[in-house]
Amino acid sequence: MSVVLSSRDSILEVFDHFRDELDDFHDRRERLIKCSRDVTNLSKKVIFLIHRSLTEGLGQSDERETSLRAVSRAKEKLKDVQNLFAGMREEVAGDRFWRHQRNVSPGLQEYIEALSLAHYLECQTLISYEEVQKSLSDADGTPYFPLPLDDYLLGLSDLTGELMRYAISSISRRGGRSKANEVCIFVRGCRADFEGLTPHFRELRKKQQVTSQSLEKIEDVAYAIAVRSSEYDLPPELLDDIVERTVAEAGFGGGGDDRDQRRRGGRRGGEDEDEDGNYD
Amino acid sequence: MDPQNLEYINQLLDKDVELREKIKDQVTEFDKKTRTLTGLLNKIHSTPPSQVPELVATVTPVLQSCKETTAALAELTPPNQFWRWKDMWSVSLRNAVFSAAFVEYLRSGGLLSLPRAAETLGIKDEWQDRFTLSAEDYLHALITMVNELSRLAVNSVTMGDFEQPLKISTFVKDLFAGFAMLNLKNDALRRRYDSLKYDIKKIEEVVYDVSLRKLAPVQTDNT
Repeated sequence: MSVVLSSRDSILEVFDHFRDELDDFHDRRERLIKCSRDVTNLSKKVIFLIHRSLTEGLGQSDERETSLRAVSRAKEKLKDVQNLFAGMREEVAGDRFWRHQRNVSPGLQEYIEALSLAHYLECQTLISYEEVQKSLSDADGTPYFPLPLDDYLLGLSDLTGELMRYAISSISRRGGRSKANEVCIFVRGCRADFEGLTPHFRELRKKQQVTSQSLEKIEDVAYAIAVRSSEYDLPPELLDDIVERTVAEAGFGGGGDDRDQRRRGGRRGGEDEDEDGNYD
Repeated sequence: MDPQNLEYINQLLDKDVELREKIKDQVTEFDKKTRTLTGLLNKIHSTPPSQVPELVATVTPVLQSCKETTAALAELTPPNQFWRWKDMWSVSLRNAVFSAAFVEYLRSGGLLSLPRAAETLGIKDEWQDRFTLSAEDYLHALITMVNELSRLAVNSVTMGDFEQPLKISTFVKDLFAGFAMLNLKNDALRRRYDSLKYDIKKIEEVVYDVSLRKLAPVQTDNT
């Protein structure tokens, strides 16, 4: 090992080595960013699939059955995403994971959002850190990479927006009002839980605002229902019809716009930069 | 969120916060040392060539003392988490490497290699995943050294040392040729690399002035 390099040739020789090292790093970075994008795309599709499956069953089967069907379809698709993560394993082995964490995190958060939505529909609970980590582990339970706490929380924070869509689009359905109330309480709980953690995560603070907005939207709808139902002393079946009309008038039917707003409001900054791949 | 999960998250969080605090303390120490180093090395601009060895001798113990800090940081960093925390100390580390490389130039006129720089600061190979000197940090340090050398070229002429600018010129050109071999992306290193040409221009002007007035000794092949 040369100690001091005193000729041009010896200097060029070591820089040759640096070039290989830097190229290796940049190439891996590119590959991971691409992979993260694939994960994001697939996860978004899973979320849409869930919403589609939920509205599909309209009126035919009971609520629970519809949810579970959506969940089983989603889980099938989520396996593809998990396989993508498994494929990253080598690239982020050892100390490399933390070097590339920022390149992986947009996809990871989107995946957690999709996973937690499926989990909520199945169990009505917030998926735990350990469960997410387990979904990112091989058959022996060895993680592909450590799950960063901020990605876990930020992914969950996005879940509230999806739940808002779910609550509002199911409100026109039979039994949808109690569902909406359930979701409303759940999202309120999420918001309270996250609030205590915001001092530690700058990104989470921004997302909390979006969560608050989503919550407000659900609350507004719940209010509309409460007001209408107080005017009539009617059985729930008849009320369902009335509510259907209310929702249509309020323009809450689709929910598509809400999603766009959420994206604009919530994702500005961090992720977009990462996705363009030029955050540094 | 179920209480168990929340508690687990808080545990993880507390651990991170605690670790961050500890690392911060060490980085503050590290920073003090590197400031002392750059302070001492700044004297080179008013030190005649004959007194350079003395100046180098005052710097060496401070460089030595950096070993304690690197050891403490390696001890603190959990396995495989080097890249998670390194941003906290990379400025200090780059300054320390700069000092080591500059001292080496003053002593021998050659370039301190990366493994040797790591060794000077007491960074051990077995710390690889906890504390290591990355190529990026090393290269940043070299650019800082070039910045400093362009000043030295000017100031050594002021002190009547006409040979130094010629030595610096050859050395910096070799380094620049090295940097030109890298495929740099649009990052901090790239921007600093782009600034190297101004340092080279400055050095070239000094060389030009000195040779034009026949102040410099006849240049023989540099060794």
